[in-house]
Amino acid sequence: MASETDYVTLISKDGFSYVVQRSSARISPVLKRMLDPTGAFLEAKDNTCILQDMPGIVLEKVCEYFYYNEKNKDARDVPEMDIPTELCLELLMASDYLDI
Amino acid sequence: MSSRRNGARNIRGPQSALTDFLAANNISAAQIRTDYDRRRQQTAQDATNAGEGPSNATPEQDDDEALAAAAQAEEDEKKTKKRKRTEEDAIDKIKKAKSSKGGSKAKGKKGKKGDPDDDDDDDADFDGDDLGMYKKSRPAPGQFEHCDICNKRFTVTPYSKEGPDGGLLCTPCGKELKKDLKKEQRATTKAVGTGRKRRKVESEKLDGIAVGGAKSLSQLCIQKVAQHHDDIEELGDLPQSVLERLSEIFSKKRVMKSKTLPLFLRPDLDSVIVHDAAYLEEEDYRQMFAVVPNLRKLVLSNACQLKDGAIDYMLERCHNVRHIQLYAANLINEGMWHRLFREAGARLEVLKLTWLDAAFEDLVVRDLVQYCPNLERLKLKLCRRLGQDAVVTISDLPALKHLSLQISQDVSTETLVNLVQKRGSGLQTLSLEKFLDADDSLLEAIHDNCTQLSKLRLCENDTYTDAGFTSLFTEWNNTPLSFVDFNSTRDVDNNNPTGPEDAIGLASSGFRALMAHSGETLRHLDISSCRHIELPAFMDVFNGAENYPALEYINISFCNRADTSVVAGIFKSCPALKQLVAFGCFDVQDVVVPRNVALIGVPRAQDAIEQFGVGIGVEEAISRMVEMAA
Repeated sequence: MASETDYVTLISKDGFSYVVQRSSARISPVLKRMLDPTGAFLEAKDNTCILQDMPGIVLEKVCEYFYYNEKNKDARDVPEMDIPTELCLELLMASDYLDI
Repeated sequence: MSSRRNGARNIRGPQSALTDFLAANNISAAQIRTDYDRRRQQTAQDATNAGEGPSNATPEQDDDEALAAAAQAEEDEKKTKKRKRTEEDAIDKIKKAKSSKGGSKAKGKKGKKGDPDDDDDDDADFDGDDLGMYKKSRPAPGQFEHCDICNKRFTVTPYSKEGPDGGLLCTPCGKELKKDLKKEQRATTKAVGTGRKRRKVESEKLDGIAVGGAKSLSQLCIQKVAQHHDDIEELGDLPQSVLERLSEIFSKKRVMKSKTLPLFLRPDLDSVIVHDAAYLEEEDYRQMFAVVPNLRKLVLSNACQLKDGAIDYMLERCHNVRHIQLYAANLINEGMWHRLFREAGARLEVLKLTWLDAAFEDLVVRDLVQYCPNLERLKLKLCRRLGQDAVVTISDLPALKHLSLQISQDVSTETLVNLVQKRGSGLQTLSLEKFLDADDSLLEAIHDNCTQLSKLRLCENDTYTDAGFTSLFTEWNNTPLSFVDFNSTRDVDNNNPTGPEDAIGLASSGFRALMAHSGETLRHLDISSCRHIELPAFMDVFNGAENYPALEYINISFCNRADTSVVAGIFKSCPALKQLVAFGCFDVQDVVVPRNVALIGVPRAQDAIEQFGVGIGVEEAISRMVEMAA
């Protein structure tokens, strides 16, 4: 079993890869389970998730949200993240899939 | 050119500022001097080969001549050493020539700034990189300077703005820059949310949407979608749960209209959920049933324009309806209700009807019971014409598992007891609101008959006694409850404000018995206005050693004996707690709220009505409270 790295790689369906902090990515229960080193998933071994349904532009926003969420974990009156209108339906699907 | 030169000559930073600057940058004058001497010797050596010539470089010379003059001047310098001024002039000349050749503004400025004056010591030093460190020394007001952006000459004032490269700006450019800055600032403050209405923020917190930290991404997206509801043509194949959430938001914002309704109708779905159908008309209802023939679940609130014709069409088109939930559907006539149950009743599993006025009466309920043998979940609230007969009939529903009743007319205790005796063994949910006459015999019936309850609501009553509740929860053969609501079970009598001697409603011993019975699985606890629960009972129940692992929501509003230590105990005993509502608990003061918990209703004068924890754990919060009390 590969050791638990600080960073994990998320790859979009069109081949863009994003390297994000593991702690941030674990906000999504789905990714958390995928990357759980005690689990038997291939993703955990490679520390890489291939998200077949997400185009790079959506995944980029998702990664942005990971950091936004991590940064505002303990804050109150958090400023809302800007979501581009044209992306919001796709992003909604992605957020539903990732359960975030 | 000469005039410019003269102008440049006039510019001279105050000595003290320069000295300060040098000191601040760890540059010593002595070091500069030695450097200078060394460099001058070197230039002198380099220039040995150059020929002699006239040493006076006149302003009319062209570039080549200037270069030559410089070389000669250096040569001169080597030879005589006293013609310092000439050399100086020549170097000036070269710099000027170079800068005008290149046309570079920055260089011109540098040259000017660095222009040696009649200062003997460090004049020749100002070339190349050394000039950089003088860039930031600000000319005194009243002097001339060249704008960093437009390169126009202007008079320096104390208000002159500094440009992006550190140079000063003329007034028009300064104004531009200021405008840009303001725009930027406005953008950032907007994002921070000061512009948002405070009321909205508070309301979201009370709704539990924003419980500290960031909102979920789907929440953000849904907001955005609702904001642009007019521009959406199709929602695509969003999952049903998200679609329902969106529908809720659309309803809340009152944008569920003929134009937006089709977004939520898809032939592959089996539900139509519209929480505010007030804008929808006959045609929309028809469209609803036409597009979604596989309809299983129909939820229409504020369905004030839902008429017989639409129900008729539904009966014709949709043969699979299992779940009907209507709110204020008052244009459906009695005949249509009868027809609905007769034709669609056999498949109905869930029926929730609220705020029905004229047409829905006891006889309809009789049909409902007769033709809906598979009904598992029934909620009838605030239907004006329902009375005791309806309750009697409901007790014959064979498959009933979840029952919620709130009936405006008087219903005798015997009827309710009879209902519980007949149906109690199968019930998982029992909610009896505002049955004012129900007394301990009902509690006894629940104790004797119900074994599968997980949700129990008995509220707004002034007849149940504490002893009744105690015996209900003592040796009760029922699995522990997860949802309990006993709010407003108390005696109200202005002539006897402290209440009767034997407590009415849930009080100390009943509360202890409840928590002993259901504490381990309890998720939702509402005991607001149970005013006879004493402080010791709270202390015993939430003593920090007892643990209620599932408890997420507690409402202790108007339990006026509860104090700060009770709240601290709650924090300690309930690790999963999300929301604690405590309006009207005046002994609760100076609470430090731990992480992920929202405390609602305990305001100090200036405070927000709701407080939630920011980044401190339970232990720390409690120790801070102790400190504060000390």
